[in-house]
Amino acid sequence: MSTATSTAPLGAEKADENRSLIGLRRPDHTTGLADWLTTVDHKKIAIMYAIFSLAFLVIGGIEALIIRAQLAVAENQLITAEVYNQLFTMHGTTMVFLAVMPLSAAFFNYLVPLQIGARDVAFPRLNSFSLWTFVAGAIILNISWLFQAANLLGWFNPIDGRSDIVPAVGWFGYAPYTDTAYSGIGTDFWILGLQVLGIGSLAAAFNFIVTIFNMRAPGMLMMRLPVFTWMTLITSFLIIFAFPPLTVALGELMFDRYFGTSFFRVEGGGQPILWQHLFWIFGHPEVYILILPAMGIISEILPVFSRKPLFGYSLIIFSGAVIGFLGFAVWSHHMFTTGLGTVGTAAFSLLTMAIAVPTGVKIFNWIGTLWGGKIRFDVPMIYGLGFIWMFMMGGFSGIMHSSAPADSQQHDTYFVVAHFHYVLIGGSILALLAGLYFWFPKVTGRMWQGKLGHWSAIVIVIGLNWTFFPMHYLGMAGMPRRTHTYLEGTGWQALNFAVTIGAFILAVGILMFLIDMLRTYRKGVPAGNDPWNARTLEWSIPSPPPVHNFDRTPVVKARDAFWLHKFGTVDQKIGSVDPGAHGVHMPSKSWMPLLTSSGFLVFGIAMAMKSAGVPLMGYLAITGLSITLIGIYLWALEGPGGYHLHPEGEHRPH
Amino acid sequence: MPLRLSIISLTLVLSGCALDGRQSFMDPRGEVAWLQYDLFMLTVYVTFGIFIAVGGTLLWTVWRYRERVDDDPNEHPPQSHGNPLVEFVLIAISIGLLVIIAIPTVSAIVYTHGMPDEPDSLLGSYYHGDMSDGAEEEVLTIYAYGWQWWFSFEYPQLGIVTGNELAIPKGKVVRFELRSKDVIHSFWVPKLAGKVDMIPGRNNWMWLRGDEAGYFFGQCAEYCGESHAYMQFRVEVMEDDDFAEWVEQQRQTPPPPQEESWQDFVVLAARAPEKLVDEPAVRGAALFYGRGACIQCHAIKGTPAAGLLGPDLTTVASRKSIAAGWMEHHNDDFTINPERQYENFYRWIRESEKIKPGNLMYHVSGGMRDINLSDQDCHDLAAFMMTLRPDSL
Amino acid sequence: MSAATEVTESQEHVPTGMHPKKLMMWLFLASDCMFFGTLISTHLIYRKIYPDVGPDPRSIFDIELTTGSSFILLMSSLFMALAVSAIHKGELKSFRRNTVLVMIFGLLFLSGQVYEFYDFAVNKDFKLTTGTFGSSFYLMTGTHGVHVALGILWLGSLFAYSYTKHFKAETHAMDVEVAGLYWHFVDIVWIVIFTAVYLLEYVSF
Repeated sequence: MSTATSTAPLGAEKADENRSLIGLRRPDHTTGLADWLTTVDHKKIAIMYAIFSLAFLVIGGIEALIIRAQLAVAENQLITAEVYNQLFTMHGTTMVFLAVMPLSAAFFNYLVPLQIGARDVAFPRLNSFSLWTFVAGAIILNISWLFQAANLLGWFNPIDGRSDIVPAVGWFGYAPYTDTAYSGIGTDFWILGLQVLGIGSLAAAFNFIVTIFNMRAPGMLMMRLPVFTWMTLITSFLIIFAFPPLTVALGELMFDRYFGTSFFRVEGGGQPILWQHLFWIFGHPEVYILILPAMGIISEILPVFSRKPLFGYSLIIFSGAVIGFLGFAVWSHHMFTTGLGTVGTAAFSLLTMAIAVPTGVKIFNWIGTLWGGKIRFDVPMIYGLGFIWMFMMGGFSGIMHSSAPADSQQHDTYFVVAHFHYVLIGGSILALLAGLYFWFPKVTGRMWQGKLGHWSAIVIVIGLNWTFFPMHYLGMAGMPRRTHTYLEGTGWQALNFAVTIGAFILAVGILMFLIDMLRTYRKGVPAGNDPWNARTLEWSIPSPPPVHNFDRTPVVKARDAFWLHKFGTVDQKIGSVDPGAHGVHMPSKSWMPLLTSSGFLVFGIAMAMKSAGVPLMGYLAITGLSITLIGIYLWALEGPGGYHLHPEGEHRPH
Repeated sequence: MPLRLSIISLTLVLSGCALDGRQSFMDPRGEVAWLQYDLFMLTVYVTFGIFIAVGGTLLWTVWRYRERVDDDPNEHPPQSHGNPLVEFVLIAISIGLLVIIAIPTVSAIVYTHGMPDEPDSLLGSYYHGDMSDGAEEEVLTIYAYGWQWWFSFEYPQLGIVTGNELAIPKGKVVRFELRSKDVIHSFWVPKLAGKVDMIPGRNNWMWLRGDEAGYFFGQCAEYCGESHAYMQFRVEVMEDDDFAEWVEQQRQTPPPPQEESWQDFVVLAARAPEKLVDEPAVRGAALFYGRGACIQCHAIKGTPAAGLLGPDLTTVASRKSIAAGWMEHHNDDFTINPERQYENFYRWIRESEKIKPGNLMYHVSGGMRDINLSDQDCHDLAAFMMTLRPDSL
Repeated sequence: MSAATEVTESQEHVPTGMHPKKLMMWLFLASDCMFFGTLISTHLIYRKIYPDVGPDPRSIFDIELTTGSSFILLMSSLFMALAVSAIHKGELKSFRRNTVLVMIFGLLFLSGQVYEFYDFAVNKDFKLTTGTFGSSFYLMTGTHGVHVALGILWLGSLFAYSYTKHFKAETHAMDVEVAGLYWHFVDIVWIVIFTAVYLLEYVSF
């Protein structure tokens, strides 16, 4: 077996005894495109998630920069209203579903098996399926740009005569605007893209819960788990319960558009507000899905760079669970202006205020972690401190929103835009960048050098504040969201211009970060196992880790297992399990997840084309679903696979 | 850190100009807006206090516990795990602060969700013109309809209809019934009250009170399609007698440009156009009722124009803007600038698609896109529009 | 190592004591609960809070037929339980027989559904596009029917697979058990739908 990659195992065997029922054999490429397409290695899958998400972060960012350029001066016509509406729709959808969620998934994938002392996740092929389904969904959403270009060139004319082929319905697509009476096939791309993305997320959530429950190393009790793994667990439960309502809502909308039902159609007795309820029952937990992993990352980083344990571990975990739970009880705070009635408005207002309490607890505990520590200002800590500060500010505007009467002025203005960008960029993105910075040496084996990391963090934080702090004022001055332009007499121009400058500063910061990453990947010095002097299991193995992760399954004696292994008492040292004669059991690669996901891609595009009036697309859609079904069958029939490694190089008899 | 502070103070300085802007909710002029403003400022003070306390603690902690250059890297600080008492106290304080916000919040929710009981706000107490049966005992109720991308306002008790600009009496509670004709819109005039959505299939309502006379700016605040940004409206708060006069003006029918009655004029324009006086406004009127096909969407009270799909044009020339507030033609003192007004009418008719992309006047089947109007036609129609004002103006 | 399921090695030490495939099925069923719950909620909202002016369900439903097919589906669960029990005991013939019975009863249920839909659409003018009632009724029961159909396909595949040399009772018992969980869930969902959609129309409150 070739050993061209650095993760090539010693003494690996082919899985030749595992020919399946119909003669299929599991692939075993170790290099090239086929390796990446068939891999089930959680680490490689994580890297792919990360690369895709960073690409979409850049794409979403460019969409934002065009928006800001358009808004920099009053009554500007840099782009048309329709393109503007498409840009803010795609910016929001891209950032939420194609940037933050998959970047979080990258961390789940890479870290969870390592942090619990496992070889891989519970269902490696399902993991690969989640990745490729994500890619299919991302393509469905973004291929609409190509069709829009074709329309501009006169080559593609949807039968409804509408020109919004890239979706222009906003990232939360309120009915009845999403109905065929008001919007074009862009809405279909949006619906199908989100449906497919949802499938990928759900599969990943199932996988991670089973992994965390079932595959912990001996001694890795639940209350010894790193906080990041706990947050992954809670986030996965949120996904399981939050995505189905979205699936139903999107399905009902699809039926309205394709089959003439009346779920949201007033003419048929439907209630458009039902869409809002169903969407936000998903949408609010979704924002906690976006922030909890970030909070988990910060909870890992602060202790390392303060050199003391996380303050109040149990309460941090418990508050995460409470946030997750309460997150299902506050959805209508997105609907304070829809006429919910006195009781409904008051109830959601109070519950929203309540959710500030567990969030505050976390902030206190993070500060408590710093207190009495020895703080090193490495780049992950800079991001971490920026996170605490910025997320807190975002939380404050959230408290301002929670009071429904006050919110009726703030809702749908730039005040809300300021709030959620503070929590999403100041919160999620800063934490994810911190995590990238922190774990990059582990993933690549290369260590950062120089000051570019510090500078990019500073520029990003400055850019974030310069862009979004003035937006609070724009909201107060009455500027609504999602508006292509504004009259000069409103007096909003000065602030808008300042905001646009900030956006470009933020973009420069992100660019600096990406350059630093690329530079370090190419030329960084070897990192070693534990360049930061950290606390959790992943730092006990080489950088980058071997394909099998741990030579021997660790036996854990306490929380912060690796720290205590280094500095604790003798009986706190990490033990190990002898792998025995048959060595380490590893999962085989497979083409089937990719095949199964590709069926969704075909289905999604076919359905959008059907809406456009292209003939035979219904049959193509069915073909897509058949490809998925065939993929599932072949997946089941190719057999469980598996091969063995002997990382310690011993050749013991079978 | 100093850099960040100076940036924030710079924006505070910059922002000073915007917070007294014409659509600012930080400059309340109505009771409901004041209530919402007070609640907002309460949350600002509370969160600012938390910001100082927590942010200050964070800053202090980071400074105090930073690693010093001469620190031994192998010496670790005490590895404490937590302090339940501290946690408990902080949680209790958090809850307490939230209660401070919660109580006035619930009170304000209850207040704004019910109609205040005020005899002075009953129509009969301040308006003495014609009204529907029983309206004397009712609060003035205005039906606001959101369309893509304009607002229509109907006063059923007073029998009047207008578009995009409405008037209400000063100091009186006014009830708005909010409806949508197509997608979700939102009715928002920040200086008078927070917004409530206009949702098709739903009968939302709100009340507000304008405490001072003036001309206030409103805008649709729920994304409703291509020209959402161009969907605005105006609320004029007037003294009682000015309001009564305004109502009378909305009831008047403009005189026909020629002939005794509109019916006669329309028949003449159709059958014997050569007998029409050769003046722009007359030609414009003939176009309006004829080849221009304007009457399929627009209405002019008391004339054969009874279209229900576009703004009512009976008193359109008395409005200080057209195209749902997007094209303004008023001076600083809110008197009308006739040259700009004429220009706006002309431009709107000539190239509405450029001004409000996707607008239905242009795109509806048989709309402006399908009708060939010459440049002269547009001028004539604009001239006709200029005549659509109450006599007394 | 023999062609075992991927996790035999760690099964003995699994902290939850539950096989990963079974745990995964439970999680999937939890999400499916939310899924059907949302569909049923939509239906109830449109029946109770925003009733439309369409036909009275009582004049459309053939409650005797639906009760009959519900009973058939319930009986299929009995056979499913017997099939799972059989495979755990290694009794292949009994497993196959019971599995076929589950499939037959499932198909009978589906035939009942198809007949019902045909009757509603053609004879009683109650279609997918008949107001909100039509929309939510057909989407909900249709989704359930698809779940049943997929279950039948799954069981059929297991049945066919049991005739191949790769099939071993001990190693594949878990797969059957997991399919059984799914089948029971689909049955329980039908009971909820039957109650919330059909029976509720006959109770006035």
